[in-house]
Amino acid sequence: RTALSTAPPPEKKRWLRAYLELQRLQAPPQRRSEQPNWDYHAEIQAFSHRVQENFSLDLLKTAFVNPCYIESEEARRRQLGLDKDAVALQLQDNTALAERGLRFARAYLAQCFEGAYPELPAKGVEALVSFLTSQELVSYVAQNLSIQDLTLCRDFPAPPDVLQRTFLAVIGALLESSGPERAGIFVRDFFIPQLIGKDLFEIWKVVNPMGLLLEELTKRNISAPEPRITRQLGVNTVLPVYFVGLYCDKKILAEGPGETLLAAEEEAARVALRKLYGYTENRRPWDYSKPKEGLAAEKAISSN
Amino acid sequence: RYVRQLQRLQLLFSPTAADARGARQFVEEAAQDFARQHPDVVLYVSPRSGPGPAPVLRAEYLNGTVRDELIASKTSEEIVQLATKLANQSGLDIIRIRKPFHTDYPSVQGQWHPLTNKPSILTVQGPRLQPQ
Repeated sequence: RTALSTAPPPEKKRWLRAYLELQRLQAPPQRRSEQPNWDYHAEIQAFSHRVQENFSLDLLKTAFVNPCYIESEEARRRQLGLDKDAVALQLQDNTALAERGLRFARAYLAQCFEGAYPELPAKGVEALVSFLTSQELVSYVAQNLSIQDLTLCRDFPAPPDVLQRTFLAVIGALLESSGPERAGIFVRDFFIPQLIGKDLFEIWKVVNPMGLLLEELTKRNISAPEPRITRQLGVNTVLPVYFVGLYCDKKILAEGPGETLLAAEEEAARVALRKLYGYTENRRPWDYSKPKEGLAAEKAISSN
Repeated sequence: RYVRQLQRLQLLFSPTAADARGARQFVEEAAQDFARQHPDVVLYVSPRSGPGPAPVLRAEYLNGTVRDELIASKTSEEIVQLATKLANQSGLDIIRIRKPFHTDYPSVQGQWHPLTNKPSILTVQGPRLQPQ
């Protein structure tokens, strides 16, 4: 009576299979670290190989620890009733590394832009740098580098400011492990391609381009521009097109189109500013060749 | 720089089923070499005992796509080729590409618009000068 049958166990019933499949599909999404097949150490090593950088692994592991994770872990341990010593985690969080990374990234990017576009004023450089270190962009880059799987944080999916902090902490960790040159090449390779296809005045919102243009021209000792209509089409229709050209001393500076005369003049001022700052669509693409030796000292000074 | 889009490969197979023979041979012979040649891909080998579904190679990419490839009744070399093919792919969906070219700078001299080569209304047409 107690004979064990070696036949394969009967399969689950058809209706049960349907119910279990529905449960599986309706289950809330979980962190990758809670799903089967996850090895944190191997994943971190793979991450450092993927970005082709040599990290010191403890710095990298601290870079992924967020303060919200430490608080939630301590709260959980306290709830489970452990004593004081066990409650305090021996983990450092990544705020210090994130701050260092942010300062270095801003300084390096500002230096890059000042070298590449010497005519661009400080406000323009500031606008470009803050666009490149903004939450959406940094969290987008971090998501596509699988940082959202490796971060330790309280909520799932990780909010964009957590991803931004973690990515900047990774840059800080790289700065500590490999020095400012490698970190600079890393920042250049991952942030500057995000500018491709973007126009200057999409990133830098300028309210009064004409006033800015007048300031720039007085700096260069050129007389004030005189706007004239160059071409016009469909004046009496619903969709007129006016091309307004800005002339300085009877020589053409820039020409811009618009629906009304005011809009066309503003657009012409923007085109003139783009030409003056050297940020036109047909400028030379960014130079990704090896950096020269002289920049290393400047970077070291700026990062400290 | 180049970032390999394949994040991890999970090899799910059964240690006794007949169609998982190629998978078992792959694990014994070629898995370590594959892992050494691709240090940025994490290879998980998880045998699941008992009669289960067919052996599958699950590839997870950086943009979140998960692709399952059946490896039932495949030899070890075929699995190596399949794994390298997955490692060199990106995680974009495999659909028809509308055009095989793309450019971020569609125009260098400025896009043509109907007023490009027309003279502006400011050019003055004076009287024709007689040749002296």
